[in-house]
Amino acid sequence: MNRHVLEKGPAYSSSAFTISPNRFQPRSQPALRSRRLFQRLCLLGGVSLILILLIFPSWRVAILPTLSLGLLSSPNDLHLQTVRYYDLSEVQGSEKGWERGERVLMCTPLRDASSHLPMFFSHLRNLTYPHELIDLAFLVSDSRDDTLTMLSHMLEDIQNDPNPKMPFGEISVIQKDFGQKVQQDVESRHGFEAQANRRKLMAQARNWLLSATLRPTHSWVYWRDADVETAPFTIIEDLMRHNKDVTVPNVWRPLPDWLGGEQPYDLNSWQESEAALALADTLDEDAVIVEGYAEYATWRPHLAYLRDPYGDPDMEMELDGIGGVSILAKARVFRAGVHFPAFSFEKHAETEGFGKMARRMKFSVVGLPHYTIWHLYEPSVDDLRHMEEMEQERLAREQEEKERAGRKESPPQDQQGHVADNVGEQLQGSAEGPAAHPAKDEFPSDSSKQAEQAAKIEGQ
Amino acid sequence: MAVARSMRRTSPTTILLAAILAFGFICFILTPSSPATPEPATSQQRQEDAAEHPLSPPTKPFFKSQPIRPDGHKAAPPVVHYDLNALTSTSNSAANGERLLILTPLARFYTEYWDNLEKLSYPHELISLGFIAPKTPDGNAAVAKLEKAIAKTQSGPIDNRFASISILRQDFEPPLASQEEKVRHSMSAQKERRESMSRARNSLVFTTLGPDTSWVLWLDSDVVETPKTLIQDLTGYDQPVIVPNCFQRYYDTTKRKWDVRPYDFNSWIDSQTAQNMAATMGPDEILLEGYAEMPTYRTLMAYLPDMKNLDTRKMVALDGVGGTALMVKADVHRDGAMFPAFPFFHLVETEGFAKMAKRLGYEVIGVPDYFVYHYNE
Repeated sequence: MNRHVLEKGPAYSSSAFTISPNRFQPRSQPALRSRRLFQRLCLLGGVSLILILLIFPSWRVAILPTLSLGLLSSPNDLHLQTVRYYDLSEVQGSEKGWERGERVLMCTPLRDASSHLPMFFSHLRNLTYPHELIDLAFLVSDSRDDTLTMLSHMLEDIQNDPNPKMPFGEISVIQKDFGQKVQQDVESRHGFEAQANRRKLMAQARNWLLSATLRPTHSWVYWRDADVETAPFTIIEDLMRHNKDVTVPNVWRPLPDWLGGEQPYDLNSWQESEAALALADTLDEDAVIVEGYAEYATWRPHLAYLRDPYGDPDMEMELDGIGGVSILAKARVFRAGVHFPAFSFEKHAETEGFGKMARRMKFSVVGLPHYTIWHLYEPSVDDLRHMEEMEQERLAREQEEKERAGRKESPPQDQQGHVADNVGEQLQGSAEGPAAHPAKDEFPSDSSKQAEQAAKIEGQ
Repeated sequence: MAVARSMRRTSPTTILLAAILAFGFICFILTPSSPATPEPATSQQRQEDAAEHPLSPPTKPFFKSQPIRPDGHKAAPPVVHYDLNALTSTSNSAANGERLLILTPLARFYTEYWDNLEKLSYPHELISLGFIAPKTPDGNAAVAKLEKAIAKTQSGPIDNRFASISILRQDFEPPLASQEEKVRHSMSAQKERRESMSRARNSLVFTTLGPDTSWVLWLDSDVVETPKTLIQDLTGYDQPVIVPNCFQRYYDTTKRKWDVRPYDFNSWIDSQTAQNMAATMGPDEILLEGYAEMPTYRTLMAYLPDMKNLDTRKMVALDGVGGTALMVKADVHRDGAMFPAFPFFHLVETEGFAKMAKRLGYEVIGVPDYFVYHYNE
């Protein structure tokens, strides 16, 4: 209709017979008619659609989102992604994982560890491997202290750090108690009797942590204990560069000077020996060989004892059993089913069994004898006693000197009756954990210490 | 007059206003009637169960839109706590809202398998699925069909959708290109095939298990018929490892009628003969079931049911299990029970799994009179 009006417009001003180049040809009637028909059909369709929508409410879910072009979001749409696709051949792990964006799962089992957490988090913040590629997994089990709350706070802090390079990837804090009755202090932890059961429980805990947090996106898994005192910030890259299926560094611990300065800590990394294999054959199916005890003389070469402080840190040594303080493994090892046996696997459990099982499935397991990280030194009860004695001895000596300065006579010495007690304590102290304090027995006990000891006992 | 009328009609503002008004009408008419269409019962729960971030366990769906920090960077993934002390796996699984993971090594895709899965009456918002397929032409074809079926289900009625689905492609070559029945079952090929299968199963379970799963149901891709209540029934026995009997429907040409016959012979009770054989074997040799060359005289669960007198409450303690349908409490896998890809006490794959579960102190149980059916090739 309106086209007619417009087209007639120019006709008023000029002759109807002149052909102007600006003049529009009127639309032919059939075209106009079909257009009108189309418009009507559209209208009819629209109205019927609305009616149908009114009559069949179930259609709305299907039709409305498309009609409204997302402007009107239906409350029924979930906005959830439910399907994920992963190609495991893309997460094999390579020597320069950080360049290829390979994700690392970092697993840390914790128990009553609140005192170690600040140190652990300073290590965590300093790690040079790209943080967004590291997923953190913690297992808090059978803790009686505030490990859990402290851990949560520190993790929140790190994830909300203003530095965009600080936050890590997925963070899972798993709580699971295994009813561990064995005490965690150094004495009971390394007692021979408790070892087999303790190792099985630890294995169980490690498996729970890994199976709950390993994802199809992981190329590497890094196991790290919370009580590591000193380790290079580049440790993940350093271990990764070897491109082996399982890699462990050497683990030592520093000691006070009076105990010799330093000492091998982790004796679970070893090569198999004929003697140990022969021993294993004689043992019951459920027996577990634990390293570092006189009960099982295995004569195995240990990674820890091979350390040369000036040796090549890249040197590798093939291992059969490994320790769990710091393990870097390709995720495909765990995907293939290798785990920490919570039963006797070829007469071993936990990390040593893990090494054995990885070898059984033809994965490479190496240790780096000259690349060392340092475990925290926790004084044992005996060490504490020694330290207390030393402190009192020092005080006594000062006192003595003062008295000597004041008077000329020396103080009366009445100590004979108490020497036996002291010897008894010394004997107790020798029944200790693996390779504990080799330098200690050399420590000379002098008379003034005994005097002090005597004074202490009298005081009680 | 004519000009004015036409102006009124053609004004874009008018049309726009009319459109907005019409749109408003439609909204007005449709919105108040929303309560009449009951919102799917599970959408609220699904939203609550979803993970915030894509970096989350594969057993959880996640929100498509992600929060942004005030400084413009993407918000870091949240710190998520999982209390596994509160995770239960009980005989009353559905009522307790226990999550289940159905794991399937995908050899071929059968529509019947998927239809059967969809019909399971266990609440679908508690079911996550995991598939693993080799990177072979066969695998590609199976995955393509699977994805089509998934797309249909996951965009269908909300109550029918599964909580989440993971599709994995395995990172090692399967030893045999052929899935032909005869080749597959030849004894020499069995060890290799089952070791590869073990690796596939382990890859699947240890990457998808996550911290929320209470039960794991292993269901082979060629199991095409199960009772609708399969999950409720099997969890109802409240056993750490439980396996139903896997049979196969076939057309008996002599009797001219459809009948059933045993299919899975890997569920058995050990025999002294088999143990003696194992004792003389080298460390890399394995015992296999169902081969004339290797008579083990084990008691096979497949032959236990008395078809005239079925009792699904009857349970037997087993020493080896098959994997066609296998219900496992997630704790058993978490403790480390896996499918050995090496001879473990001369057993591999599902039979080795049963052995390992027993070494970990769990009981392995079979229900001889409860059937699931295998596809007939």
